[in-house]
Amino acid sequence: MTAPLVQVEHLEKRFGETRALDRVSFDVDAGEWIAIMGPSGSGKTTLINILGGLDRPSAGRAAVDGLEIGNLGERELSRYRSEKIGFVFQQFHLVPYLTALENVMLAQYFHSITDEKEAEEALRRVGLADRMDHVPAELSGGEQQRVAIARALINHPKLILADEPTGNLDEVNEAVVLNLLHELHDAGHTILVVTHSRAIGNLADRRLELEHGRLARISAAFLAEE
Amino acid sequence: MHTPPMFLRILWKLLGASRGRLAIALIALTSGAAVSSALLNVNLDAERKLTREFRTLGANVVVAPPPGGGNAALADESVPDRIAALHATQIVAAAPYLYVAASSGSQPVILAGTWFDQVAKMNSWWQVEGNWVSSRADQEHCLVGQTAARQFGLAPGRTVQLRSGERTISLTVSGIVTTGGAEDSQILTSLESAQTLAGLSGRVSLVQLSVSGTSAEIERVTRTLAANLAGLDVRPVRQIAAAEGSILGRIRGLIFWTIALILVLSMLGVLASMAALAMERRRDVGLMKALGGTVPRIMRLFLAEAGTLGILGGALGFLVGVLLARWIGERVFGIPISARLEVLPITIALTIVAALAGALPLRLLGRVRPAEILRGE
Repeated sequence: MTAPLVQVEHLEKRFGETRALDRVSFDVDAGEWIAIMGPSGSGKTTLINILGGLDRPSAGRAAVDGLEIGNLGERELSRYRSEKIGFVFQQFHLVPYLTALENVMLAQYFHSITDEKEAEEALRRVGLADRMDHVPAELSGGEQQRVAIARALINHPKLILADEPTGNLDEVNEAVVLNLLHELHDAGHTILVVTHSRAIGNLADRRLELEHGRLARISAAFLAEE
Repeated sequence: MHTPPMFLRILWKLLGASRGRLAIALIALTSGAAVSSALLNVNLDAERKLTREFRTLGANVVVAPPPGGGNAALADESVPDRIAALHATQIVAAAPYLYVAASSGSQPVILAGTWFDQVAKMNSWWQVEGNWVSSRADQEHCLVGQTAARQFGLAPGRTVQLRSGERTISLTVSGIVTTGGAEDSQILTSLESAQTLAGLSGRVSLVQLSVSGTSAEIERVTRTLAANLAGLDVRPVRQIAAAEGSILGRIRGLIFWTIALILVLSMLGVLASMAALAMERRRDVGLMKALGGTVPRIMRLFLAEAGTLGILGGALGFLVGVLLARWIGERVFGIPISARLEVLPITIALTIVAALAGALPLRLLGRVRPAEILRGE
């Protein structure tokens, strides 16, 4: 039996007196699509940030692909982020003065070496073949999010972490982005999506529901719909 | 089509994205570089011109036999030729002297035989009433120091009889010379006349040299001379060398501190722009870190940006500085100051240092925590 890709055990994160995460434990197998849900302030983004190596746990353990995130130094964390993780943010977070193509290549640059052809192919796959030389200000929200997805995939990460990826999109673009996530899932990618949307939650294999920093329930998506 | 490496692509975009703030930093750097370059140009040219002026203010190196040997301690007349054979371009003039204890009537006087053409080169301030002796081969004329002229009642056109032991010579006074030095009490004539009177054919007491350059350069020439003139003492005239060194040192010091001050001011100008830029770039840096960028790799981009500004500011400043130096030269010194190419790399290097120092606020970006930035804090 293969070990889970993500292992979280008694994970805690405190900000002063506040417990953002309180003894959270779960595993994620490679190829799973997990939706992390819960009200605002329940610790969803904190959990994603720790798994993405953007934040450190206060206690407990979080391991991805066998790497204990809490034990990594600054340089190792940078390497972990570039090699293992693909981020998709609600605010897209593209560099405003770089073109769509250069934004994708930026992830390659911090990973190892740039390959313009591969970056172009990634943008073609998300349907942006004709928007490569546009800067973010010239792209719609949906197009910007597709650039972010291409950027997240370019280094073949083990884990895609998406924080409210459709939160700033209209319905049409939301459908496009969800379709892309579906394709990624079908292609065998492991995806953790933070979302408020029940509809998106239902697309996932499992839902983790957080309340006040605690894992309230884990359910198979098709069972959760009441 | 060939595309530049990603590092250069990002650098180019960074420069374009913040051109407003960077333009202010560039103006600060260019201004500082212009003043620094102008002062360096003025310094180098003024130093060269001043050392040239100094070399008309008397000998600053003396070559003589070791003291305490009487007539046996005289040097050979060939010493100036041996010095000339060294082809030391910094030796402006070399005048041999033979001092003879003579008398005119019953009163003693020092007769100095020398080469007048060389003496003229290194003593531009000597004032002559009457005529200078034009040729070093002239054995009929002499110059009389003003004190000696008063003592012996001599004037241009008069004849003076000089005796040393059994030998006598008769010289016509060509001019009365005022030097402000020991020569005022002496009679100066050609080397050959003095040798004839003393019966010391082919001998000299010493050779006075005028050597241009800084104290260190003069020391270097002195060492070369000493190595090539065995058996002779080569001594710099300390007071003159020290005075010249002190004046040049003060000018250099003044220029050094002015440049340092100007560069600190430019650096502060850059600092203000970069501090604002650092705030604007927090989000970009947070994102770059999230994508796996290490602090040194991200900082390299910003340092390269500051370095580029330094190179641009330095090169532009150099060009403006050349014009400024020319203007200062004409207004202050009344001479055109020419562009010195060696100032270009110095100006660029100094401006890069100022730009990098001014970019210090960007180092704070290394502390940006991506989780906070991406949350929008």
